[in-house]
Amino acid sequence: MNSLFTIFLGMVLIDNFILSKFLGLCPFFGVSKKLSNAVSMGTAVTLVMVIASIATSVIYNYILIPYKVEFMNIIIYILVIAALVQIVEIVIKRTNIVLYNALGIYLPLITTNCAVLGVTLINAQNNYSLVQSIISALGGGLGFTLILIIMSAIREKNELADTPKSMQGLPIAFIIASLLSLAFMGFNGLL
Amino acid sequence: MAKGKNKNSSIKIMQNKFYPVIFLAIIVLVAVVLLMYVNNITRAKILEQREAKIVNQLKNIFPDVDKYEFKDDIYIILKDNKSIGYAFIAKGKGYGGEIQTLVGIDKDFAVKEITVMSNSETPGLGSKITLSSFTGQFKGLKSSEVVLSKDGGQVDAITGATISSRAVTDSVRKELDKKIEIIKKNNY
Amino acid sequence: MIETKEKFTAKKFWKELAKGIVLTNPVFVLILGLCPTLAVTTSINNALGMGAGVIFVLLGSNIIISLIRKITPNMVRIPVFIVVIAAFVTILSLLFEAYIPPLYESLGIYLPLIVVNCIILGRAEVFASKNPVLLSMADGIGVGLGFTVSLIIISFLREVLGTGSLEIFGKKLFAIPVLSQSPLTIFIMPPGAFIVIALLMALFRLLGVLKNE
Repeated sequence: MNSLFTIFLGMVLIDNFILSKFLGLCPFFGVSKKLSNAVSMGTAVTLVMVIASIATSVIYNYILIPYKVEFMNIIIYILVIAALVQIVEIVIKRTNIVLYNALGIYLPLITTNCAVLGVTLINAQNNYSLVQSIISALGGGLGFTLILIIMSAIREKNELADTPKSMQGLPIAFIIASLLSLAFMGFNGLL
Repeated sequence: MAKGKNKNSSIKIMQNKFYPVIFLAIIVLVAVVLLMYVNNITRAKILEQREAKIVNQLKNIFPDVDKYEFKDDIYIILKDNKSIGYAFIAKGKGYGGEIQTLVGIDKDFAVKEITVMSNSETPGLGSKITLSSFTGQFKGLKSSEVVLSKDGGQVDAITGATISSRAVTDSVRKELDKKIEIIKKNNY
Repeated sequence: MIETKEKFTAKKFWKELAKGIVLTNPVFVLILGLCPTLAVTTSINNALGMGAGVIFVLLGSNIIISLIRKITPNMVRIPVFIVVIAAFVTILSLLFEAYIPPLYESLGIYLPLIVVNCIILGRAEVFASKNPVLLSMADGIGVGLGFTVSLIIISFLREVLGTGSLEIFGKKLFAIPVLSQSPLTIFIMPPGAFIVIALLMALFRLLGVLKNE
């Protein structure tokens, strides 16, 4: 139990995907301009991360390791993630059109989101069991969403500030990310 | 005009409903076969590298080793078929990730030497745990003394990198206690 | 789309190559491939390793994708690209593990993550799937070099400021007297990565190299 909690907290605060592992930066800077988008994107990423972790963890522990073909993980994982994203998109479209309208445009982008492949690779690297993988994906996704929300709230306010011309847009966003990252380093001694 | 005819028939194939699926399947198959092939070539080398890394480290700690046995995650260092010491790998969670330390101990279970094998600590700061100025402090210590000096032990932490230093110290001590029990029980 | 039968010339090869490095520099101009850019630039060694890896994969995938561009069905083109890229990344990863294990270890999960580097899939979709093999090769090398140059600039600044010295392939090139005793360690930590890239981007803009968004 303790170790599950450790994994979860570590993924949310300490090994935060955006601030310390730099995973999922492309969508991060793209979507973090508005708060409402940030929540949708974060939810979509978390959902796909959890499902992908379940699938890849089963494949890794019950197929790749027994047959000693761990080196195939990259190609298999990326195909599984691509397929999953398609399936999730179709399922959401058929069952919940409101949710689909909110998440729809982000789903295709998620295939090439390094955070999703990243979490499955981290699970494999640490030899996590199925339950541990789910917890780590959940933590990673929530950490991603948390930073996305904080970041978009700051950027909305920042729009009103008088930023030097050459710093406008992305550069200042990176500076904000840097300060956030600095703040989150304070969590390092937590576990 | 054979070329034109060829083109026609290839267009026919490409218009087939199942063509995209079959094409993708072929690509996947080719990729898998290719990877199997590359893996076969590199596998021996990869295993050799991993083995060589450990043997080298063991030789550094025990210069007169001529053979070693690997049982219960313990390297039993043999000379003239008699054990002269033991080595094992201790893993601890540092600042940037897992830190693996190879620990060599003598027959009296005092630390002979430790080597940090892999770490992802901050370069220039936490990564100083690999330097002999840090690892050298472990020489000759008994398990109860392998504690940071600020926690009442014998090991001075690296300035500004207490977490990394503590990760190494704690993992070495804990693993050492476990291994001593195993060694005593099985009389290695 | 009508296939334009453009003649391949040496001049065009160089033009395509130079374009990748300067005009369409993936990091500073197109803002692509950020994850590895920030993650592995803690030392110039890592940057060179990652750069070489990306050039290898980009060159390989561009060649194959360009070769099969006429028989690739449009419907499954993205999965096909991904499989080709993933295969090259796996080969790279096996080669690194076998022949340069220290680099393999220090790149960690960022080595397999080359698969989702937007630059590579982007070049496959935008360039290699529409252009002949030799041009695609030039494009691959050019964009790959552009990426590597960006990595080198960032890692140079981070390593020098963050450790006060510079090391290439285990050889210490120089050490700055005061700085190496008390380095600005923050620069090799995550916040430093964000600061360096922010300032470099702003600098590129200020110089007019980079157009505003």
